[in-house]
Amino acid sequence: MKLLSSAAFISTIVFGMAMSIPAAALAEPFRVGVCYDLSKAYTFATPQVAQAAKDLAALVNRKGGIGGEPVEVIVRDHGNEPQRGVECYEQLSREGVFVFDTLSTPVSLAVLPRAMEDGRVLMQSLVGRGDAVDGTVFDWVYPIGPTYWGQAANDIAYIKQLHDGDLSNVKVGFVYFDYPFGQEPIEILKTLSEKEGFELLLYPVPLPGNDQSGVWSKIRRDKPDQIVVWMLGGAHVVASKEMKRNGIPMDKYISVNWLNEVDIANIGAKNAIGIKRGTNVVGGQDIPLYKEIMAELYDKGNGNGPIEKTQDVFYNTGLAMYSIMFEAARKAVELQGLPITPDSYRAGLESLRGFDANGLMAPITVTAQDHGGGGATRIEMWDGTAWVPQTDWLSEYSDQVWAVVKESSSKFGK
Amino acid sequence: MFYRLSGVYHTNYISDSRIYKVPADRNLALTFLILGVAAPFIAPSLYVNSYMLPWLIWTSAALGLNLVTGWAGQLHLGYAAVMAVGAYSAIHAARFGVPWEFALIIGGLSASVIGSLFAFAALRAKGLYLALTTLAMQFIMDWVLTHSPAISGGSHASLQAPTLKLLGQEITSDTGLYYVALAWCLLVTIFMLNLKRTGLGRALVAVREKDYAAAILGVYSFYYKIVAFAMSSFIGGVSGALLVATFFFLAAPEQFSVAVSIQALAMVIVGGLGSIIGSYFGVALILLVPGLVNGVVVAASEQLGMQLNVETLAHIPNAVYGALIVIILIIEPLGLGKLYGNIRDYLMVWPFDQLRK
Repeated sequence: MKLLSSAAFISTIVFGMAMSIPAAALAEPFRVGVCYDLSKAYTFATPQVAQAAKDLAALVNRKGGIGGEPVEVIVRDHGNEPQRGVECYEQLSREGVFVFDTLSTPVSLAVLPRAMEDGRVLMQSLVGRGDAVDGTVFDWVYPIGPTYWGQAANDIAYIKQLHDGDLSNVKVGFVYFDYPFGQEPIEILKTLSEKEGFELLLYPVPLPGNDQSGVWSKIRRDKPDQIVVWMLGGAHVVASKEMKRNGIPMDKYISVNWLNEVDIANIGAKNAIGIKRGTNVVGGQDIPLYKEIMAELYDKGNGNGPIEKTQDVFYNTGLAMYSIMFEAARKAVELQGLPITPDSYRAGLESLRGFDANGLMAPITVTAQDHGGGGATRIEMWDGTAWVPQTDWLSEYSDQVWAVVKESSSKFGK
Repeated sequence: MFYRLSGVYHTNYISDSRIYKVPADRNLALTFLILGVAAPFIAPSLYVNSYMLPWLIWTSAALGLNLVTGWAGQLHLGYAAVMAVGAYSAIHAARFGVPWEFALIIGGLSASVIGSLFAFAALRAKGLYLALTTLAMQFIMDWVLTHSPAISGGSHASLQAPTLKLLGQEITSDTGLYYVALAWCLLVTIFMLNLKRTGLGRALVAVREKDYAAAILGVYSFYYKIVAFAMSSFIGGVSGALLVATFFFLAAPEQFSVAVSIQALAMVIVGGLGSIIGSYFGVALILLVPGLVNGVVVAASEQLGMQLNVETLAHIPNAVYGALIVIILIIEPLGLGKLYGNIRDYLMVWPFDQLRK
């Protein structure tokens, strides 16, 4: 009996492995390898982004695909483990996929040397090494969207607007997770503090950010005028509690783009009034593309997940990322026809000019030099029910940002 | 029947201390060696470069950890930190222009120095206290890596490894890299097989079983513990360096985080403490099964036409994988190595043992 059950077990595995070999596809779809962390560290954002990717692909297919061919997003979990990310990349790239998105910094770092070597397009909006916007060095990597450096510079530009163009007597606090994600903007903030004359105060927060009491009581004593925050998920909630305890008004808080409706709900919609965040996409649901997806998919019961997940700014982020990817494919077909190849896809990406997906995001213009698309962001404020833009799309201090980019990218490959 | 014992008897000590006393064991090992050497020509390249290569390197690392945890009985929760020391010092040495052969040795030696330095402080503590001290080493290393751009390679904390070059030959092809990993894994395995039958190996086992009993027998336990830490750290350091040189091509702190330390320990425990073949199995289970189960679950849901949410789809394999570990440890607490041992013992006299019943 024992033998029988183990034989059954083995046959299940063998059967499963046989099934995992894909059946030959009939049409030749344009495929994107979405190797995401859906089970460990990045789960605060990946489900929404993956759902957006699938919804957008479904919408594109309903409208006839790209150049008559369907599009497909292949979502796989890598659990934020570089080894499994590489496995996902290697497997899909052997199946002919040449556009990859990892949405995880460790995996993006691990896949980057292979993508550069094999000639596969690595999209890494908002994650991975920021200096990859330098297209002259990283010819296969496209971190479209703002780098953390550019985003921090835009935050400073906003603070400058608040203080009527004079930062000389201003104190800017920088609260950050004390590991590379949070440390990245320090360099550019220091450069700008020298240029603009504001005082920069650094407040490192140890991971995972559950204990911030020391940081915020220090901030109470130091009285910075504005506080730029580079933290994620639950850490925002902890910060808001500490701010309340220390009597620091919420409108001093300018978060990195990783602040969403879930965090707002956890802080409390009322308590969060005045909180700000830098963003490269428009928050909320008043967006043509979003409405189209609702009408075409969710209203007909064909959505790729719960509708609540779509009411989240990270869903919009996902729509923005994949609008860019599909638009580039469309351009590639326009320029060089079918089938789309890695080279024609790159040409497609580099021909994007002022593309904003019909008012969904900051307009991007990708060139062979600038793979970041310009890196524009704006500041939005939570007013209790919705995000209210505080600025136009900004892309300030680009000379300083590019100096930091070049300084870092010049070391690559040496 | 398969592991035929007839005709196997020993008339001198040399024959008694042979590695493979039963011919079947030797033949099995040889078969797998041949399969391992032939793998790049018979297996699809995906399997060679994204499953077998990391498997071999992690197996060598796990064997190193098994040396200190399985043989010498010292719980080590900071093994990834040791690997990080090896990886970073080897890469820095290689970037500085040191040939890779020496860079790897430098990596191993520096890991060995730092690993045993911690052991020095740690060995006044025992058991769980030692475990916590090694965990502290892990956290110190994490901190050092995330706070010293000079070591970790700039504000993105990613350090590129120069192209691996051994004996004047640049190694870039999948096959070449695979053979480097295979050679290192073989070297470590042969070392461990031989360690079993030396005085040093027996002294380590004596220390593991009861260190003061060992002291009464004249085995200076403190010295042997340090030796165990130094040797295991050397193996870990070189494995870490090779992991980056042949697989990741650049080093990042997340590749050597505390989670990785725990995984390494899980590999050794699931495989079986003090078991060489167990380390191979344990690494396969911890490292490769999540990806495989993931593929199987995704394929199954596609075949059955289930419209599963991407998140659910990602969590099912995790649950299956966790259950698999629990089931294996319930069936055989001594790990996969012992499980194999049980099968071997059963087949040793089969089918003749059936006659008695």
